[in-house]
Amino acid sequence: MSQTVQITEVSEFMKRHLADVFDTMLSLHPVLLPGAELPPPGGRVTGAVGFGGETVTGAVYLHLTDPLARQATATMLGLTLAEVTGEGEVNDVVGEVTNMLTGGLKSWLCDAGVECAVSTPAIIRGTAYDIEPMPDVKREWLVFDCGQERFMVEIHVKFN
Amino acid sequence: MPIKILSVDDSRTIRMIVGKAFRPYEVQLFEATNGEEGLAAAQREAPDLVILDVTMPVMDGVTMLTKLKENAATKAIPVIMLTAESGRDNVLQIAKIGVRDYLVKPFKEEQLIEKAGRIVALQKKAPVTA
Repeated sequence: MSQTVQITEVSEFMKRHLADVFDTMLSLHPVLLPGAELPPPGGRVTGAVGFGGETVTGAVYLHLTDPLARQATATMLGLTLAEVTGEGEVNDVVGEVTNMLTGGLKSWLCDAGVECAVSTPAIIRGTAYDIEPMPDVKREWLVFDCGQERFMVEIHVKFN
Repeated sequence: MPIKILSVDDSRTIRMIVGKAFRPYEVQLFEATNGEEGLAAAQREAPDLVILDVTMPVMDGVTMLTKLKENAATKAIPVIMLTAESGRDNVLQIAKIGVRDYLVKPFKEEQLIEKAGRIVALQKKAPVTA
């Protein structure tokens, strides 16, 4: 099967879908910062969900700052910030939001004829890390402004 | 008698959101984290409604739904599928098995209540008086 989808189309879909997910689940309205530099290293929570099929493999990474991840957790679970005390519930929420982002992408790819399945979410925590794409994998960064915080979505895609 | 609802999702976040959505109502909520646990809970508790995720480890939602419909004791239990995947093929597949309705993530709690309210008679809890 020939490649039917371009990475730029994936990126455009993700911009629209992220706005929907953040509005519906988090009541947040992030603003895309085209060409923005990546935020400086700091405490981060990253959700990662892979997708793959015969003609495509890839992953979506949602990088949130610690404060934004806690705010998202409080909003999504109907808690106050003070009630968000453990890493576990923050990890669950970041994983679930990443799952929704990737699930939407998977559906969009499948409707475009690029069949694939998604993995269960994984979480990465730390202060200074980078995710290196495998050879021949295209990487797109989307940087958003969300009130006092910036966050990023990183998409890795390889069409076979 | 409260309405018995079974939430089957490997995501604790989604189970908590479902729990929050039904909190104002006379609902007894049961939870399971995969299809295998969900089947056991459905047979044990005979819920009035199942809210079922699609992608889960151990046993996914489509397999659980299929087994639920194959069993005479559970085949009449209505199921709302809750899925992050809205693709045509996915929706057609679950529709064929006999799902009552489906809700695509992201979703608002009001949407879940509206869809559940079409299947079971949700009653608001009486206000607590001092």
